Amino acid sequence: MSRVFMKGCEAIAEAAVRAGCRFFAGYPITPQNEIPEYFARRMPEIGGTFVQGESEVAAVNMVYGAASAGVRSMTSSSSPGIALKSEGISYCASARIPMVYANISRGGPGVGSIQPAQMDYFQATKASGNGGFQMMVFAPATVQEAVTMTYQAFDYADRDRNPVLILADGVIGTMMEPVELPEMKRWEEIAAIQDSKKAWACIGHKLDYAHRSWIEPGHWRTADMQKANEEAAALYESWKVGAEVEEYLLDDAEIVIAAYGISARIAKSAVDLLRKEGMKVGVIRPITVHPFPCAAFEHINYANVRAILDVEMSIPAQFVEDVKTAVKDRCPIETCLCSGGNIMSREAVIEAVRSIYKK
Amino acid sequence: MRTMAKIEVVSERCKSCGYCIKFCPKGVLAAGSKVNSKGYEYVAPVNMDACTGCCMCARICPDGAIEVYK
Repeated sequence: MSRVFMKGCEAIAEAAVRAGCRFFAGYPITPQNEIPEYFARRMPEIGGTFVQGESEVAAVNMVYGAASAGVRSMTSSSSPGIALKSEGISYCASARIPMVYANISRGGPGVGSIQPAQMDYFQATKASGNGGFQMMVFAPATVQEAVTMTYQAFDYADRDRNPVLILADGVIGTMMEPVELPEMKRWEEIAAIQDSKKAWACIGHKLDYAHRSWIEPGHWRTADMQKANEEAAALYESWKVGAEVEEYLLDDAEIVIAAYGISARIAKSAVDLLRKEGMKVGVIRPITVHPFPCAAFEHINYANVRAILDVEMSIPAQFVEDVKTAVKDRCPIETCLCSGGNIMSREAVIEAVRSIYKK
Repeated sequence: MRTMAKIEVVSERCKSCGYCIKFCPKGVLAAGSKVNSKGYEYVAPVNMDACTGCCMCARICPDGAIEVYK
């Protein structure tokens, strides 16, 4: 294991390379430009392919194609670019094609702002495209976590034959931190992974027309389409037991902060300061925001809790809706929000906690 | 002591996003005095005496518009 100082975007790209990703297609957009930039330099060194598409739509469909041929493939973008890619992502989900993509999200609808935000929560977890498909969505709070998640995302994608999303934001993407990079997969391992996809991928039928693979992003026969949807629904259901979460100082908590990604990291540092003042505050941080770790909200002693404080970089609040579903009206839910590219401040979180105590 | 650093901004590439201004630890860069052909108020160094040549502006620039020479 080597420890290096890397920018979040570059670390995500290197983690993908080490996981065996050998095809990347993308299109530039701030704040994720360093992902394609890194791949452009790195892919030729390892015999992989980098393509800068003529648009986001082109890039995601190139990934759809490469992944259909069994290659571990990835794309990335930021909020408006992900919206453009939603068509290809939906096609991958419908055709059950494993691919990984990262959303280094920014602030607002439309072109938004290019600074960090968490405005794509609903898009990421509820409707990333047409047709009601779902994906595992990982929300890193550190560059190290972004590396680990990206590395594992390819395994989850291959296991499920489904897209996997790394939902980061402009802070994780552009900041530099020391990271330990995972092992580089050897070419034999990568070849074995590709070989394991022979049953469905278009790897070459050797003129055996009867057994050739078909990639179908839909079915004309309604019975077939319903069956495909039922199989997908069973897959989505199977994830629920694997929802990942970090529970921080919950045992005696009087106020529980619910937050994900960079907001949760900022909230945790606020909690450390508040604890020194004797305020009993804890944090629930979903690591997978889909499936949502509802079970963590069962570990709270509601007799003790004054309120849940939802901290997120989104106005209007989005993540709070999943929190509400998990809390089931057992205590009040307050919010501490910022948006538009403004980064959550520790002081704002501390102030929000204080005002709950004053109530 | 002043380092002999030099910052060159390719003004036509700059979209005035302000990342370099925000990330420069010494407040060397500013935008707003001139406009490029696309209508963006491009960034320029305004306080070169403070520049340490750390290249943070060039690293963070999403459009590769900044070069730093030492």
